[in-house]
Amino acid sequence: MAVTAVSGVVNRPIPRLRRLEDERWLALSLLTPTAILLGLFIAYPFFEGVMLSMTSTRVGIDGQFVGLKNFHKIWNDSIFRTSVWNTFWYTGVTTVFKLALGLWLAMLLNRHFRGKALVRAFILLPFIIPTVLSTFAWKWMFDPTFSVINWTLFQLGIITQRINWLGDPDLAMTSIIIVNIWRGVPFFAISLLAGLQTISPELQEAAAIDGARPWQRFWHVTWPLLLPVTMVVVLFSVIQTFADFQLVYILTGGGPANATHLFATYAYQIGIGTGLLSEGAAISLAMFPFLFLIVVVQLLYIRRVETR
Amino acid sequence: MAMTKRRSVLKLAGGTALGGMAGILATGRTPAYAQQKTVHWLKWVDFVPATDQMFRRELLPQAEKDLGMKINLETVNGNDLQPRLTAGIQSGSGPDVIMSFNSYTHLYANSVVDVAALAEEVGKREGGIYKYAQAICSNGKGVYMGMPWTVIGGMIAYRKSWLDEVGATKFPDTWESYREVAKKLKAKGRPFGQTLGHTFGDAPGFTYPYMWSWGGKEVEADGKTVVINSKATVDSVKFMTALWKEGMDEGGLAWDDTNNNRAFLSQTISATLNGASIYIESLRKPDQYKTEKGMPLNKDILHAPLPKGPAGQFGFHLLQSNMVMKYSKNQDAAKQFLSWLHHEANYRKFFESQKGFATPCTAKWENDKLWDADPVMTPYKVAAKLGQAPGFAGPPDAKAQEGLSKYIITDMYAKAVQGMPAEESVKWAESELKKIYSA
Amino acid sequence: MIEGAVWRKWVFYNIPLILFVFILLFPFYWMIITTFRPDGELYRPWNAVNYQPFWTNNPTLDHILYLFEETSFGRWMVNTMFIAAVSTVISLFCGVLAGYALARLNFPYAGGLGTAIFVTYLVPQILLFIPLAEIIRNYRLGDTPWALILTYPTFLIPFCTWLMMGYFKAIPKELEECARIDGASRFKAMIYIILPVAVPGIMSAGIFAFTLSWNEFLYALVFLSSPEQKTVPVGVTSELIRGDVFFWGPLMAGALLGSIPVAIVYSFFVEHYVSGLTGSVKG
Repeated sequence: MAVTAVSGVVNRPIPRLRRLEDERWLALSLLTPTAILLGLFIAYPFFEGVMLSMTSTRVGIDGQFVGLKNFHKIWNDSIFRTSVWNTFWYTGVTTVFKLALGLWLAMLLNRHFRGKALVRAFILLPFIIPTVLSTFAWKWMFDPTFSVINWTLFQLGIITQRINWLGDPDLAMTSIIIVNIWRGVPFFAISLLAGLQTISPELQEAAAIDGARPWQRFWHVTWPLLLPVTMVVVLFSVIQTFADFQLVYILTGGGPANATHLFATYAYQIGIGTGLLSEGAAISLAMFPFLFLIVVVQLLYIRRVETR
Repeated sequence: MAMTKRRSVLKLAGGTALGGMAGILATGRTPAYAQQKTVHWLKWVDFVPATDQMFRRELLPQAEKDLGMKINLETVNGNDLQPRLTAGIQSGSGPDVIMSFNSYTHLYANSVVDVAALAEEVGKREGGIYKYAQAICSNGKGVYMGMPWTVIGGMIAYRKSWLDEVGATKFPDTWESYREVAKKLKAKGRPFGQTLGHTFGDAPGFTYPYMWSWGGKEVEADGKTVVINSKATVDSVKFMTALWKEGMDEGGLAWDDTNNNRAFLSQTISATLNGASIYIESLRKPDQYKTEKGMPLNKDILHAPLPKGPAGQFGFHLLQSNMVMKYSKNQDAAKQFLSWLHHEANYRKFFESQKGFATPCTAKWENDKLWDADPVMTPYKVAAKLGQAPGFAGPPDAKAQEGLSKYIITDMYAKAVQGMPAEESVKWAESELKKIYSA
Repeated sequence: MIEGAVWRKWVFYNIPLILFVFILLFPFYWMIITTFRPDGELYRPWNAVNYQPFWTNNPTLDHILYLFEETSFGRWMVNTMFIAAVSTVISLFCGVLAGYALARLNFPYAGGLGTAIFVTYLVPQILLFIPLAEIIRNYRLGDTPWALILTYPTFLIPFCTWLMMGYFKAIPKELEECARIDGASRFKAMIYIILPVAVPGIMSAGIFAFTLSWNEFLYALVFLSSPEQKTVPVGVTSELIRGDVFFWGPLMAGALLGSIPVAIVYSFFVEHYVSGLTGSVKG
């Protein structure tokens, strides 16, 4: 499994045939291109960003070193706190739904029927269309005046009043969550489908012969075998969702009344919108420890799952 | 901060690690105009499409010929100007001339070149630059951070026949009567519509003047003392909450600058504060926009300024200016180009292509015959003259711009409309403003 | 699963599947309809009598024509494809090598390095783009495709490396050792024995990387300026959100046409994508 090496050194016995020297040099040369690219385009800007967050720099004005003042300032900022809460809520809810629906869809696809290849290719569309563009389509579907969703619900007799999708603070968050789920389900489904296909049908059959009911078969046979791939997919999805920017930026710009700000959109509004670069950097850096913690917990969990 | 030092270190590192890269990559660039000066102008995508077309096809080729330089026009969505400005300034390279909205001029004051000479010349020639434009584009000490370009006037566009039907023969000129008419119209399913969302044009264009007209203001004239928590502001918030329920389209909380146009054109609202684009659009496609009686819609649209409040009548319009960036290596060429654009004959082409959507910032144009061509557009001719800038009664400086970019005033009303008690939402705005003004 | 009455099959499989497909694809149907709908029909409020949202009787090609005649949409498509393809190749190259080293070679700090590469994936883009703009200027990459080709790998390499590591680990060691006994060098064994086996994994990493670069918005907005250099997401939004009145027709046409190339790539490779991913998670 992939992530073991990420989180710790793999101690495998050194086979007779390998010469240690040889391996070190090879490893070094194989890692060089990656190190150069990441070093130049991530390590340095990251360092620069961290430095920036500890100064009083505004756009076009180099600031003084102020230590952790910016972090102190955002900590006392009510909008920042809202953004933190929003980000957790957004990430948590979407991940649960994406996982549940993705798993369901994967199970539906994991059997033979006519047009399977076609369906499988088609359902990936939400995942592959540029986010900016699909989000604009959603924005129009949520338009208070022209919403096709409202039209449909109205025609079906479900609503008599229009639903103010993006205008109501709670609904606005829900709308954003819906779009994120819509975008993420295909990725979950296809990846979990890949996992499902590695599980040999004989195991299922054996369990069925032993008299296990479908639900029991899923819980005791399929789920444990699927867990590793599930965790990895969740891990990647959480990272992407936590740092999400485009979706909120386009749908609401963080409004109404800051009800939908996430880390990234708030950092953008402060850093770019008001020119307080250092504070914006501090906000986006504040995301890092949270994300790091979540990821470490997940990685540890994955390791435990694998080694048991 | 030792910016430059690190930059050079990086250059060194880059030089050794990526030795040939710059060279290889350089070949990918077009050498065509290597000898010629190039001016790169970044502006918004004009809300009147004909103008950008006119620039590309007519005016800029002419400028290239007259000035012997190459002009690169780049247009981006108005909301995307800021990331480009920030990246340009921080990296020290980018467009030579960038369009500014409102007080961006103050926000980026350290990164632009003074264009006072040009502003004074144009002002002298054209009967003086309006105070509103001066306040936004200059620092009050003779330095012009941006060359005032134009004002996108915000006026209320309304449906004459619908207002007639409820007995309002002209657009209400006080907030009380505004509320009354709105109430009657909403009862008929034709509310007034306004955005309280996070959007740069129509939201502050409504909320700031509304607040001022009640006597509310962000700070005292010293530009330091936050005085928003006043009875006047609280009253205005309370009134807004009631107004919203009684007479406004409640979808407005989510609108951006485009929603009210579509709502108006599709006949779901009877009045909204906007640039002239609604009317212009209805003129362009008379067959498409018809009233419920089959008349062309454009015959049923009129414009009016925002109503008066206890403290007077105000307007806040989007003011655009052009900034010559300090990092630019073509500052002289850029100034030359700007000066060329402001030659009367050239500027007139722009002005006429806008058909009244844009109001010039100098007195001379107020009496232009273009305003007589269509009486519906006439109210816009004084937009630039009557405007007031955010940060009132203080100067429209970087702090005022910060308050504007954080949507504090708009959010103050939005919060109340969503159910927060008026006193509390004003208190919230006060604490946010204090953070800005005490820093 | 196979047994059971026909109705059960419908209730438990077919109907949910149809619902899924319907919901996932509905926005695309909406884009198609909008693309071909004349402007006059576009703006009718949701509760209007004559509102006919799901069909149009007067299809028009105006929006698509507008897209190609009035904007450089064709150019944007070519740019986006070029940038996505080259940055994908670079990231795959780096990712495959690094993944191999981290998964199959024994050297000090392998774990630490792996973690470091993974952590770079966590650094928020919003923090990076301003310092990056400076670097782009120093290397004089501004307004060239290379600005994106060289920065996109920063978020593609970690993913590719991670995926390939998993895949390489799943390949039995004996395979390599046999080749080594036959006298092949370690490097040769890697190139000729391991890489061919890993092709499905490389494919799926590549497809994923391609999608991410096709999607990217912020860097493309900041680092490119000439209209003819732009990518589809930036071009479409910055040139088609024109005016505060109309843009949905061409915008949706752009969205639709902009996703077709990736859709085609996927329809060919979805099989590999699935099996590649399978390989990487099997280990």
